Amino acid sequence: MLRSEGGFRPWSDDREMRAAEAGGMTSQRDAGPAITVEGLTKRYGRRTVVDDLTFTVRAGAVTGFFGPNGAGKTTALKAVAGLARPSAGTVSVLGAPVGSVVPDARRVGVHIEPCGAHPARSARAHLRALALAAGLPRRRVEEVLEIAELTPAAGRRVGAFSLGMRQRLGLAAALLGDPEILVLDEPANGLDPQGIRRLRTMLRERAAKGGTVLLSSHLLAEAAQTVDDVVVIDRGRLVHEGPISEVESLEDVFLELTGGVER
Amino acid sequence: MIGLLRGELLKSVTTRAVWGFAAGGTAFAVLNAVLIAVASGTLDEVPEKKEALSGLPVLLLLWGLVGAAGEYRHRTAAPAALAARRGRGTVLAVRIAAYALTGLGLALLINAVAVGVALPLLADQPGPALTSGQVAGVVAGNVLALVLATVLGAALGALIRGPVAGAVVLLILALVVQPLLSGAWEREANLLPFGAADVMTGGTHDTTLTVPQAGAVFAAWTVLAVLVAVACERRRDLA
Repeated sequence: MLRSEGGFRPWSDDREMRAAEAGGMTSQRDAGPAITVEGLTKRYGRRTVVDDLTFTVRAGAVTGFFGPNGAGKTTALKAVAGLARPSAGTVSVLGAPVGSVVPDARRVGVHIEPCGAHPARSARAHLRALALAAGLPRRRVEEVLEIAELTPAAGRRVGAFSLGMRQRLGLAAALLGDPEILVLDEPANGLDPQGIRRLRTMLRERAAKGGTVLLSSHLLAEAAQTVDDVVVIDRGRLVHEGPISEVESLEDVFLELTGGVER
Repeated sequence: MIGLLRGELLKSVTTRAVWGFAAGGTAFAVLNAVLIAVASGTLDEVPEKKEALSGLPVLLLLWGLVGAAGEYRHRTAAPAALAARRGRGTVLAVRIAAYALTGLGLALLINAVAVGVALPLLADQPGPALTSGQVAGVVAGNVLALVLATVLGAALGALIRGPVAGAVVLLILALVVQPLLSGAWEREANLLPFGAADVMTGGTHDTTLTVPQAGAVFAAWTVLAVLVAVACERRRDLA
């Protein structure tokens, strides 16, 4: 149940929409990568969760980040967001290395489950605190509540929210700074079909305007309608990277590459 | 930085916990004043009368600890760090400053209630009445102890990152370890955080420390805890 930022446009065919966008996006697509991950390794004790992972995310494109449960997707996304320190390797966002200082909320918006709101706090208070921290005006809170269609529930405690509402609150928080880059960890989880469709529309519209999206998902059929590029990892390692146009069936490729056919 | 501080302040007062601790603190102040001034018989010495005004630093230590550790328990620390455009250590330092300010508000409220309830009751007691200077001295010690306790609690909460585990550790230290140490070496135990806080709030009299000296001891422990917490925050991942 997400409202697109530029007004909801009911695209009947998302591939048609992407074809329409492609004509006006040459400059973004020719630009350098928005995110560069090089040799990223993350260990927790003796356990290696992400292993020498290298990939890039094109500016102005939606990149799907796929892998089975426990493949290291969330850990890699946390490293991209600056929330987890790499054991080895580097992550650069818009050309700047992600170090101990996390990227600016106006440049990178992040939603990694759970939504990061205290269950006893209202959605509006949660977003207001984040807006204050980011130096954003109060009206932006109302705007993202509107985009996430949470305005009627904004005064309610987050603990009383459904999974879908918490997801929308997490997305609203990621959108607060109207960032150039969105990093989203399974954003469609818990959303109803209408919400998933509106999320897809919103992400495509952002890409059409030159924005960049890196998202992980297990909903492969849905993601195939949204993404331009595909990155697949298994056991923390890269197994595929390339445009979605080169993939006939995302699900078949995913299962083949990650050994899911035999599992 | 001011925006971040305002954001952290807003967070600290938009859960029910702060109101619970405010209610608990004022209830303790009333109970303590009534028990000391009325139920404990004749109070004819100034130190005895001062006890009717004493605060309970462990309560605000618990408030700081539960609040700061809850940031990790509820995963609210990560979006705050993402929004703040600052290093994690800076965000934690500002969060602790916000807890210091809320702790100051709670300390002033608790002490206002304690003074308001205790002074009329103490007026009926024999012996010298507390002068306004003595009352101000007790309140100053109490307020400083309560604020430092909040800050120490927030630093410990950031280090331990689990509200329940932190609360258990804290209560064991306050209710078991400190009394045992005080029983064995009372004066030396006043150099520990809980002992120094006791001196500041008039909870113990067998000490060579003055209230300002005890304040300096408690402040030193608190600053050490904050520095360790900030240094650790810089190195640790946020969930």
